[in-house]
Amino acid sequence: MDPKTSRVELLQGTLDLLILRTLAAGPAHGHAIARHIQRTSEELLRVETGSLYPALHRLEAKGWVAASWELSEKGKRARYYQLTRLGRKQLAAEHSRWDAFARAMGLILNPVEGEAK
Amino acid sequence: MREFFRKLSWLAGRRRREEDLREELQFHLEEESERLQEDGLSETDSQWAARRELGNLGLVAESTRAAWGWTLVAQFAQDLRYALRTMRTNRLFSALAVVSLALGIGANAAIYSFMDALLMRRLPVADPQRLVMMNWNAKVTNRDDFVMHSGHGPGWGDARSGETSGMFPCPAFELFRKNDALFSSVFAYFFQSGLAKRLNLSVQGQADLASVQYVSGDYFRGLGVPPAAGRLIFPDDDKVGAPAVAVASYALSQRRFGGVAKATGQSVLIDNRPCTVVGVAPPRFFGVDPGTAPDLYIPMHANPRIAPDMYFDGNDYWIEVMARLRPGVSREQAQAVLAPQFQRWVKTTAHNDKERGHLPVLVVTEGARGLGGLRREYSKPLYVLLTLVGLILAIACANVANLLLARAAARRREMALRLSVGASRFRVVRQLLTESVLLASIGGALGVGVALVGIRFLTLLLAGGQTNVRLHAELNWRVLGAAAALSTLTGVLFGLAPALQATRVDLVAALKEARAGRTAGRRSLWGAGLGRALVVGQIAMSLLILVAAGLFVRTLSNLQSVPLGFNRESVLLFHLDALKAGRKGAEITAFYADLRTRFSQIPGVRSASLSSEPLANAGWGLSLYLPGGREDPLNRVMSVGPEFFATMQVPVLAGRDIDERDGPGAPPVAVINERFARTNFGARNPLGQHVIIGKGDNGKIVARDMQIVGVTRDTVYGGLKEKIPPVVYFPYDQGYPLPDEMVFELRTAGDPVAYVNAVREIVRQADPRLPLSEVRTQAAEIDQSIAEEIALARLSTVFALLALAIACVGLYGTVAYNVARRTGEIGIRMALGAERGRLVWMILGEVLMLLAVGIAVSVPAALGTSKLVQSFLFGMQANDPRALTVAVGTLVAAALLAGYLPARRAARVDPMVALREE
Repeated sequence: MDPKTSRVELLQGTLDLLILRTLAAGPAHGHAIARHIQRTSEELLRVETGSLYPALHRLEAKGWVAASWELSEKGKRARYYQLTRLGRKQLAAEHSRWDAFARAMGLILNPVEGEAK
Repeated sequence: MREFFRKLSWLAGRRRREEDLREELQFHLEEESERLQEDGLSETDSQWAARRELGNLGLVAESTRAAWGWTLVAQFAQDLRYALRTMRTNRLFSALAVVSLALGIGANAAIYSFMDALLMRRLPVADPQRLVMMNWNAKVTNRDDFVMHSGHGPGWGDARSGETSGMFPCPAFELFRKNDALFSSVFAYFFQSGLAKRLNLSVQGQADLASVQYVSGDYFRGLGVPPAAGRLIFPDDDKVGAPAVAVASYALSQRRFGGVAKATGQSVLIDNRPCTVVGVAPPRFFGVDPGTAPDLYIPMHANPRIAPDMYFDGNDYWIEVMARLRPGVSREQAQAVLAPQFQRWVKTTAHNDKERGHLPVLVVTEGARGLGGLRREYSKPLYVLLTLVGLILAIACANVANLLLARAAARRREMALRLSVGASRFRVVRQLLTESVLLASIGGALGVGVALVGIRFLTLLLAGGQTNVRLHAELNWRVLGAAAALSTLTGVLFGLAPALQATRVDLVAALKEARAGRTAGRRSLWGAGLGRALVVGQIAMSLLILVAAGLFVRTLSNLQSVPLGFNRESVLLFHLDALKAGRKGAEITAFYADLRTRFSQIPGVRSASLSSEPLANAGWGLSLYLPGGREDPLNRVMSVGPEFFATMQVPVLAGRDIDERDGPGAPPVAVINERFARTNFGARNPLGQHVIIGKGDNGKIVARDMQIVGVTRDTVYGGLKEKIPPVVYFPYDQGYPLPDEMVFELRTAGDPVAYVNAVREIVRQADPRLPLSEVRTQAAEIDQSIAEEIALARLSTVFALLALAIACVGLYGTVAYNVARRTGEIGIRMALGAERGRLVWMILGEVLMLLAVGIAVSVPAALGTSKLVQSFLFGMQANDPRALTVAVGTLVAAALLAGYLPARRAARVDPMVALREE
């Protein structure tokens, strides 16, 4: 398949939500987070490394995630990120906001389908 | 908030965090390449692919760092480091700019702190803005026709404004006190001259002098001052027959009693009379005069020098009055009510129509800042000094501006380079601003030090060795802030203008320039023009300060060359007051005579005498007339001991000196000065004639009829600046007026100070209760009387040198910069055969141009402004041509020197080297 058509551009501000959601499953390092988002979205979403790390450090500055050096599965030192209590609250809030947004978008873009149901 | 602290803690561990980021990104690359290898790529290919996927590693790291939120701080640190480096490379210029700024800021802060303390600060009492002070104003043409028959206090004013004073007769005080509706309190205090303010205070047998303020019973309540311990003075204390009480100042309680608690209730001897210290005034309280700090406050009625009839005499002006307005009453209202009351009352005190012709008019003035004596004395010199230091700050700022301009021009290429590799204009401007602000900040910080030293220096200088003047100057941070802000603003303005200009350059052209400022000459012309304008301004302002210094220095030298009429060297002066040791009447004269004999027997003392006042600063008038003549109020008197004229080395022109024959019981004699002889006797021989001291109402009672036995050369009397008046000298021990405190004069061989211990020993043996005070040499006494002129001359000289140095640095910088810019041109000229001498003159010609413009601007300004300091000058006019010539000469010499150094360097340019650089 042609990557140009099959890949979806990340919407502004959604990367934070994706990272938080990914970390809800447990601590992970940067590469794993990127891979997880890519795999789970069936390769539709691709996280640019150039924006992943600034985003991670920004979330850390806000206190939503905490970072620590751990050994990876392959026994290498990696910087693992973990959701904080504050981050969990933030995730819940962002999640419901996104749900509302997606529902609204759906209602407008697919009116017939909505009425049929 | 938490986010901020987290970022802050990251900032602390910045280095570790940088490593973490590198390792994190490295780990990412490895993971990615491993994943790609699993997909079947070769090791090398996978590594390249991982790198490609990541993109620009530096950019990723940079944008991640941006998330840490301290890019600004980091850049600032970078700018600061760079600024410090630039300062180090331009060490001389940076140092000069910083030092001149520090001196400018510090001097301004110091002088202004004094002005604030003396002129603006309110008294440290409750609601000072509700205090008012009573004054009167009168157009007095002839003292004989004025309701004030005697006055004990200062008056001031001139022919135009009339005479103003704060002295009142006691009945007027009673009149003011009746206005309950206007005032919640009316209180008074007794003005005393400097010498009478001191008492002999004996605490547990230890005698020493203490200054005193005599106050009315309501003084402390009226001022709204709470006691630090015990109680303060009550109205009941200020009555005839009340127990003797005193209130100590906080400082005195610490110094003499060892604490407020110990002072309270303590019994002491004041001028040998028992008295109880009932309380202590609060620490910051200094009475109502910012120039003094009394040690003791004593009820007015306890003052033995106030004769009982003074409380009832409506023509004897001796009391100063303040009042506290009731809430809601304005000063204008008080004035409107009191002025007619006073008018009616003062009319009843007039004895004849002449006195009724110009009665004093009451003026209620604001009292929040206390007495104005010190303000009147120091405000004008302080304004002059403030102007001088203001000019210096302006010169210093111009210097900084010039420095920054020159540097900006020299750094055009650097700016162009920075812009071309992608720096934003904002970033470059910010860096240049950091440099100027850094310069100004260092200057400001050093300025604090200069201000602190300056305040101590000024305190010494302005007090002029007078121990009874206390200045309460503290460093004024607002002023310091204002001066620092001004210098920072200068830095920003002049840092910004060239910074903006530099960043607007045509990059390609600027980079192609062989040397900064050559091809883009026209564009930087305004920079060079501004630089020249600044130098012209500096020259002009320096000339103003130089002229001021010249005027003050010449005034001082004029004063110092005033013929004294006596020999001021090798004379020791000191004060003794037998009254304070409890002696009375005839006992005093015998005691003084005995002491004089003992002093004259000290080995090395050539002769000893005594007088009522020190010769050069005397000022005593009595009713004095010739038999059958009328009283002449201009006459001045002095009571003296035997051999007075021999001791002071005043030539006796006719007749004889007063000697030991003229004691008590002998026929009363007098010696007059030349002027008295000329005024009263003309060509007649004054010897054998009589002169009479009168007393009582209008001096009609003959108190002493004296025969003139000698005529002496005129000596300075009442200050060096004063015209010598007619003076009558009479023996201190021949009846009215009786002596009290006396000044002793010892003519010594060699340094007079060497005899102080011998004098102390004699005084101690004669009477241990007797305080010896004001020990100094006659020369020091005279210097103290012109302390203000000495201070002005010294300070203005220092300021002039400072201004000259700063301006010359500016000039040097401008010329040196121009020479560096024109090295190529100079090389060509030399290669074509120009002589070195001519090249030097070419450069100096430019300096002379700047000088000529500066002087042309400044001379009219100097002539105009020097009129403002006319009142400080002595023996010369404000537009003194000599002061102006010397100032211009000094300036031209200094400027030519500053220009010659770079000019000589230009002439030494090796044409081959200069041309090769092209």
